[in-house]
Amino acid sequence: MILVIDAINKEKFGGVLDEMFRLRARVFGDRLGWQVNVANGMERDLFDDLDPAYAVGLDDQGEVVSCVRALQTTGPHMLADVFSDILDGEPPLRSATLWESTRFCVDTKRLGRGRDRNSVSYATCELMIASLEAAKQAGVTDIVTVIDPVMDRVLKRSGNAPYDYVGKQADMGKVPALAALLDCTDERIERIREFGGIEEDVFISDEAALALPAIKALSEQPNEPQDDLAKYCKEQIAMASTDEERAAALALQDALGTIIRSRPNCDA
Amino acid sequence: MDLVDLHNAQENDALFTTFLHQVREKYELDHAAYAGMNPISGTTHGHVTYSSDWTTHYFQNKFHEIDPTLAEARRSIAPVDWGRLGERDNFRAVFNDAREFGIGDCGMTIPVRGPYGDIGGFSVTRDCGEREWGLLKQKIIGELQTLAVHMHDMVIRADPLSRVLNAPSLSTREVEILQWTAAGKSQQDIGDILSISHRTVEVHLRSARQKLSSLTTPQAIGRAISLGLIYPR
Repeated sequence: MILVIDAINKEKFGGVLDEMFRLRARVFGDRLGWQVNVANGMERDLFDDLDPAYAVGLDDQGEVVSCVRALQTTGPHMLADVFSDILDGEPPLRSATLWESTRFCVDTKRLGRGRDRNSVSYATCELMIASLEAAKQAGVTDIVTVIDPVMDRVLKRSGNAPYDYVGKQADMGKVPALAALLDCTDERIERIREFGGIEEDVFISDEAALALPAIKALSEQPNEPQDDLAKYCKEQIAMASTDEERAAALALQDALGTIIRSRPNCDA
Repeated sequence: MDLVDLHNAQENDALFTTFLHQVREKYELDHAAYAGMNPISGTTHGHVTYSSDWTTHYFQNKFHEIDPTLAEARRSIAPVDWGRLGERDNFRAVFNDAREFGIGDCGMTIPVRGPYGDIGGFSVTRDCGEREWGLLKQKIIGELQTLAVHMHDMVIRADPLSRVLNAPSLSTREVEILQWTAAGKSQQDIGDILSISHRTVEVHLRSARQKLSSLTTPQAIGRAISLGLIYPR
């Protein structure tokens, strides 16, 4: 099941996002050896502070088993900045109907081989279907995805072969990376569904996700200490006793929003 | 129906409102609105088709400080259907009043992000049932995405410094494809000439149009020639 988390519902799923960042640390930091920043066992970069959308794969218990991140190509995104080597000095594509997808990964430790619901293959197909369907629902027609050659092979083998590539293969730390183009069409989605043997709706609602045991347990844990400024804003909103006070507190949070969100390493 | 060319909007702010009115007519909507912020010039911008009664009421009640379709929706990357915000107190506060002005709560906000931290929100609404809204939304969402970014870019570029920073920067491939288009080749032809898929041609062409702030390919060709990016032939 795939849960979509973005700026609108991320307050509800802080614990899930932390688990996702831990998965990314295990995959990109440990297993693939990418040059990524890992702190407290979590892999995050500055694009995670820009309110991207995440598609997060959950198993029946609510444990995070896969994830991918999406950003608009009209604003800041990885190909325009950190992955610019791939484009060889060329400016990136910029279109309202083209999204960039990065950090696609599945938990190969937790998942088994084979084709059943708890396999790497199933989780991979489910996440690919969800990314394409979510983009399509948003009116987005194409995705440019930054991947390594291994992932490229996975795409080709699961009915999801890129229709083209932009730029060239470039070295990203120890491994090469490339930018592939995928169309968000029913034909492509159907091919992946057929390959993975997945017919059902792949998305899970916020409510259903919150009811899963592992996510319930996460939300019962005390919150980790937040940035002081963000914490202050929350307190002010909670303490407001009149509509006017509440509006003022919300306005303050909004005004400080960019600072709060962009605080960690945003000078890059 | 053709939409007005916003390239002249730098001198004539009213063109933005005309543009919104045309969008509203073309896509069978009740209202369209744009709100954006340019951190470089430190300015905020708003254009609406709403009645002045509603906008007066809106600002008198400081709804712009709490309206989730404005601030919260802009932080998403996908268009935000207002149904996602419907349970919130601040949404109810604004839209209970909106109803009295004939504005329903079926709508969506399309968030726009520019390269320099500039953000905007393009919202549309129609007073109808949920099913009807769902069907209309799916039909128009793609085109509205493109129009939202187009309008945002034009609002931001009204500022001279932002205009310089946002000067169109086309890739070799985009220029090449525009040049072949100017020579009268179809997308299929260009794909064959360059040995790429016609979909790759389409994606680059779409990107070139967006960068050149053009809604049509002929407009983009004209601008590319005037900027000296391609030559007429």
